[in-house]
Amino acid sequence: MTTATAPLVRPKASRDDLIMRGGLVLFAAVLLVIVALPLWSLLSKSFQDHNGNFIGFANYLRYVQTPALFQSFWNSLFIAVITTSIVVPLAFVYAYALTRSCMRFKALFQGLALIPILAPSLLPALSLIYLFGNQGLLKGWLFGQPVYGPVGIIAAQVFYCFPHALMILVTALSMADQRLYESADALGASRLRKFLTVTLPGAKYGLISTSFVIFTLVITDFGIAKVVGGRFNVLATDIYKQVIGQQNFEMGAVVGVILLVPALLSFAVDRIVARRQVAQLSARAVPFEPKPRRARDLALTIFCLVIGLMIFAVFAVAVWASFITFWPYNLTLTLKNYEFGNFDPLGWGVYWNSLLMASATAVFGTALVFLGAYLVEKSNRFGIGRGFVHLLAMIPLAVPGLVLGLSYIFFFNMKGNPLNVLYGTMAILVVNTVAHFYTVSHLTAMTALKQLDAEFEAVSASLKVPVWRTFFRVTVPICLPAILDVAIYLFVNAMTTVSAVIFLYSSETKLAALAIVNMDESGFTAGAAGMATVIAVTSAAVKLAQLGLSRLLSRTQAWRKR
Amino acid sequence: MGVAGDPPYLSIRRLTKRFGSFTALDDVSLDVFAREFVVFLGPSGCGKTTLLRAIAGLDIQTSGSIHQGGRDVSMLPPAERDFGIVFQSYALFPNLSVTDNVGYGLVSRGASKAEIKARVSELLALVGLPDSGAKYPSQLSGGQQQRVALARALAISPGLLLLDEPLSALDARVRQHLRQELKELQRKLGITTIMVTHDQEEALALADRIVVMNHGVIDQVGSPTEIYRKPASPFVADFVGTMNFLKGAVSEAGMVAIGGRRFRVDGLNGMAPGTAALVCIRPEDVKTRNVEPGTENALEVEVRSLEFLGSFARARLVPSDGAELDLVADFSINLLRDLRVEPGIRLPVALPPDRLRAFPQ
Repeated sequence: MTTATAPLVRPKASRDDLIMRGGLVLFAAVLLVIVALPLWSLLSKSFQDHNGNFIGFANYLRYVQTPALFQSFWNSLFIAVITTSIVVPLAFVYAYALTRSCMRFKALFQGLALIPILAPSLLPALSLIYLFGNQGLLKGWLFGQPVYGPVGIIAAQVFYCFPHALMILVTALSMADQRLYESADALGASRLRKFLTVTLPGAKYGLISTSFVIFTLVITDFGIAKVVGGRFNVLATDIYKQVIGQQNFEMGAVVGVILLVPALLSFAVDRIVARRQVAQLSARAVPFEPKPRRARDLALTIFCLVIGLMIFAVFAVAVWASFITFWPYNLTLTLKNYEFGNFDPLGWGVYWNSLLMASATAVFGTALVFLGAYLVEKSNRFGIGRGFVHLLAMIPLAVPGLVLGLSYIFFFNMKGNPLNVLYGTMAILVVNTVAHFYTVSHLTAMTALKQLDAEFEAVSASLKVPVWRTFFRVTVPICLPAILDVAIYLFVNAMTTVSAVIFLYSSETKLAALAIVNMDESGFTAGAAGMATVIAVTSAAVKLAQLGLSRLLSRTQAWRKR
Repeated sequence: MGVAGDPPYLSIRRLTKRFGSFTALDDVSLDVFAREFVVFLGPSGCGKTTLLRAIAGLDIQTSGSIHQGGRDVSMLPPAERDFGIVFQSYALFPNLSVTDNVGYGLVSRGASKAEIKARVSELLALVGLPDSGAKYPSQLSGGQQQRVALARALAISPGLLLLDEPLSALDARVRQHLRQELKELQRKLGITTIMVTHDQEEALALADRIVVMNHGVIDQVGSPTEIYRKPASPFVADFVGTMNFLKGAVSEAGMVAIGGRRFRVDGLNGMAPGTAALVCIRPEDVKTRNVEPGTENALEVEVRSLEFLGSFARARLVPSDGAELDLVADFSINLLRDLRVEPGIRLPVALPPDRLRAFPQ
């Protein structure tokens, strides 16, 4: 039988293999520089004193022993728990209405609910100030309680997080097997019993996943707490204060590491859940078709109408206020709040900066992400290289923007790092933003690539066609919709992000979303609202362009028709 | 077909493939001759696809060698070997027209546009799709897609054609039709061909030689008739066609005792008396007509049940005296009518000694 001594065959790598392995090594290097090494420098900074000496856990000890600092930890936890327990049930009912009822105008309701994604998280916070702030229209509704503080933060977070929760839950609820409900009917199960035994278990993983995502989103968001937090400190604002305010980088690093914990936890849970979720819906499942039931459909329509209108109102208030001469005393409309030169030395320049940054992020980021995903998915053998790059690509999902931004300060400022020429340039903002949003883009590209026939590369090799030719001739054209998705995702996020880049901009490279924070700080709330509106309009326009473009693709490319 | 004595076109020696602790191929050796149509047959997980992918260089073996046309290709990547391949999924490029799919490998070889055009139309005519060049794969039926994949594989005139379950995604009727076309095409082109399948009927119909595999080893190599008539192991006997298995023991030279009776068995392969034996006979080989007193290996049986299968019926038989010797036998519809066979009746049958084969248990 087999001989243990039989000489092992050492497969010769083809030219294609060598190209792809070289690419993977290069990729690993790039991801190390833009993700892993900065995080490492953050971690080591948290164990050092001002002079860079290793002092063990002394910084952490001081953190826990300083009540002013440690209080923020509990504050953050409090805000995150309350927000999550408000958002998840609301979003669940909304998602249920969208997927399981015969409510009318579903597309409209879905669109309404997704509005907040288009704008920075600062926008709902600004709206709340206009409504309930010191000069708020509806100030009386709060019975003299100030909106600045936990109430304002939670309210703004609920609006900001709602679409994120909704998207996950809609996906979870739309994966239902009609046959399960038919079996339950045949067995005479009541509606409540069907809901408890079929619907909820089916959406269980979605609910868990959503809860963790929202929890992390709240705990790591910076903009809202900055604008309506008042004197109520949370972890995200603490980092900013420690680093920018007091130049206490070590303590900033400690808070950063602490901020990493919930994010890592939620990341791990999400991975486990995702693994279990597989095969929930078999290929033979019959898609669920809701049947009309008047009372339920009416109740859900009213619910969605109330929520949808509130979301729209919050959005509209900020837009409206940006056109108001002097809130709330002179409500005549004006365009003077859009003369940004009055509020910021760069004026409209910050917007052009944002456009440039977002475009560069979309173009370079998409190219990088797609190529990386291709190398991971389609390389032959070389499991170590592929696994390593994939692992590196997953890290950014678990790293809050603030933490990544802070890490960049440490890493790119390090003495002797040849890359510190990037510091203060537009390039570092682009690199940082690509890294910040890398994981979701990577997973989108991977999903698209996994749907391709696994044998395309084998066929090409048998026909002696080089791998790059098949990449450009077949892989890229087929994946064009996914590539477009990634580009738009990167663009919109680059337009709206605040948290990571706030540590990295210079006076010339200030971005629109950052200008909102500055204007709000200086009391130019109307200008801030105007800038938020401009960003939202830009994101909306880009989304619409994507919609048009993908329609065009499916119409002009005959092979996409089935 | 290659004549024995010619050097083999493809020579596989002591091939072993391990995936972690799992051994997918265990010390496999095989020769394939020029212009031969060889079919790898076996249940899923038997290693047949692994062997095909090793020949293609897609999953290179852990140890062992492969020579193709006198050249050692053991370590070479697919791009440096000489083969065309058709996968079960066809792997047609959905965004390219049929013409571009078929011409895909020609463009890289620096052929001129006119040459490519001529070659593509020639190939499309060959596979019977002369007018489909402008269509996209999604506009074709499964059978047509299969032909395009075949044309694409043949375009670069490979020395070896590899087919990985090429017919199993098709309807039964289309499959039978394409089976014949494939065989004719292979004869016409004289291309050395290896096909993988789990469908024994397909293997019997197409192959010059069948390689039956199980658990990563080759159980038997032979012509379809050999495989069917003289299976080398109980596994082959069971996997190809239908087979009765009767447990017994060798009593003396040429005789096996089964259920208290003694039967003459020609294919005893020199098993010593006392050996436990598994005796096989195909349902269609059970003699049901003209069994007279004195016919060798005769016994009286009772028909337990009948399964109607179109042109014949398959009967479950038990000896009338209640001995343990369950048999399945085929009755032609004519015979059924003539003998008025129905459940419950008794009739004599015989197990012809030259149709009986025995394996040690």
